[in-house]
Amino acid sequence: MWTIGRMSRHFALSRSTLLYYDEIDLLNPSGRDLNGYRLYGPEERARMERITVLREAGVPLKKIRRVLAGDASKIQTVLEQRLSHINREIGALRTQQSLILRLLQTPASQQGGRVMNKDRWVEILDAAGIDDAGKWEWHAAFERLSPDGHQDFLESLGIDAEEIRSIRHWSRQASDHQE
Amino acid sequence: MSNNGINKDQWVALFEEIGLGESAMKKWHELFEARHPQGHASFLSWLGISEEEISQIRDWSSGNQAR
Repeated sequence: MWTIGRMSRHFALSRSTLLYYDEIDLLNPSGRDLNGYRLYGPEERARMERITVLREAGVPLKKIRRVLAGDASKIQTVLEQRLSHINREIGALRTQQSLILRLLQTPASQQGGRVMNKDRWVEILDAAGIDDAGKWEWHAAFERLSPDGHQDFLESLGIDAEEIRSIRHWSRQASDHQE
Repeated sequence: MSNNGINKDQWVALFEEIGLGESAMKKWHELFEARHPQGHASFLSWLGISEEEISQIRDWSSGNQAR
């Protein structure tokens, strides 16, 4: 039998949380000792494990209580509701993020402070398995397809004018060699 | 704020030209979203993609939905 102190340490919850769970009948102790202190047995610990999982999924406590009351179909519904709620929140946050990014993009931004700069771009291409030859091929194709777009893209990464000229020059050379 | 010269279709054409197929492009988006989520959003916006589609792309790039 575990005391509330041991429960608290094991499940990383405060004693007052466990007292609250008792109060709302989410987790009642199995009994009390001679001094009137709460005691928690194996069934209560197993129940606490289940409560922990559902808490980590963000399910509200009162809903957890209903789920544990024995309705098997309830857990499906509750998790779906939680997922739906989270997805809506993520969508709303992304919309805000995009809007703020647009507001923040100014021509005066420094390369290092930009959201996207040349180093980060190269890192992503490397991680996607595009080697140096691949990158140059890509620049060559970009220059062929849309010289203005290529210029604009390189500027958006905050690359200085001279380096852009150099990249575009080599891109045209690479193109010429291919034909 | 979109750019002067290139839209989403042209961008996709560029990747196809260097031999990246659809699954490679998906992986690229996933990496982008995982490592530089703000950069990903910013880039998609630069291509002139609508807010709604940006949201969708970022959603499946982070593994929230099957594409």
